[in-house]
Amino acid sequence: MIFVTVGMHTKGFDRLLKKMDEIAGTSGEEVVMQIGHTSFRPQNAKWFGFTTESDIKEWCKKARVVVTQPAMSILDAQEQGVPVVVVPRLKKYNEVIDDHQLDFARHLEKEGKVIAVYDVDKLDAVLQKPDLKPQELAKDSRLVNALKKYIAQFEPK
Amino acid sequence: MLQLMDAFEGHQTFFITYDSVRTRGLEHKYLLRNIGTNPLVMASASLSTLRILLKERPKLIVSTGSEIAIPAFYLAKLFRIKTIFIESWTRVDRPTGTGKIVYPVSDVFLVQWERLLSKYGKKARYEGAIL
Repeated sequence: MIFVTVGMHTKGFDRLLKKMDEIAGTSGEEVVMQIGHTSFRPQNAKWFGFTTESDIKEWCKKARVVVTQPAMSILDAQEQGVPVVVVPRLKKYNEVIDDHQLDFARHLEKEGKVIAVYDVDKLDAVLQKPDLKPQELAKDSRLVNALKKYIAQFEPK
Repeated sequence: MLQLMDAFEGHQTFFITYDSVRTRGLEHKYLLRNIGTNPLVMASASLSTLRILLKERPKLIVSTGSEIAIPAFYLAKLFRIKTIFIESWTRVDRPTGTGKIVYPVSDVFLVQWERLLSKYGKKARYEGAIL
């Protein structure tokens, strides 16, 4: 099963969901989508609008691969040890207010933290690759430690 | 923010966030309507935030965005509550609108990509990212 999740973003992500619905129709593999505020209604894939964080993690766990935008949802999938393919929302399609997701995807890709697809027409081929592997989740504790230090400074126990 | 909760161990916390299926399960929370760019909703959110801060009297406000942080950070300045802003992990080269607005009043301002430092002033620091 392929799980597709586009988060809480107030803009739709029709481009990705239409392509994934097409793949659901042709590949024979089950596709489940969390469509958020997207107006497009999938015909072939199972879909729902929103759900809880634990439910999203549950869907990620059951999936062979998770397709999402480059955002916090990457962590939900990687925590479950599932390969993640990210497709950035682009400003030119009015999917987002600026191209920060594009920058973000490029940097994560360069660091080997995700597989990024920029052209949805290439999604099918990437999803069918036999060597899709979960990326290593390398949580960085520096930020939490820095935050602890400031909290101790501002609110001593 | 939930990825950073380990940092708050031993401290009492509450959330001010947007109402959604994902946030309704949080324990000690205040849920506001999504502000976006609507000035009227921003005004009403500011009043709600004022009421919440007067009731809770926090010593510190920590935010990872988005615009919901704006009234909280400016009211915090007024009430001398300390503030920490953490710019989104998804921002490599481009600051968020919220980041730019709260930068002047933040006590601590952190970015999650070193290269973003050049887009902010001297106060901004890079001390790691969530991943």
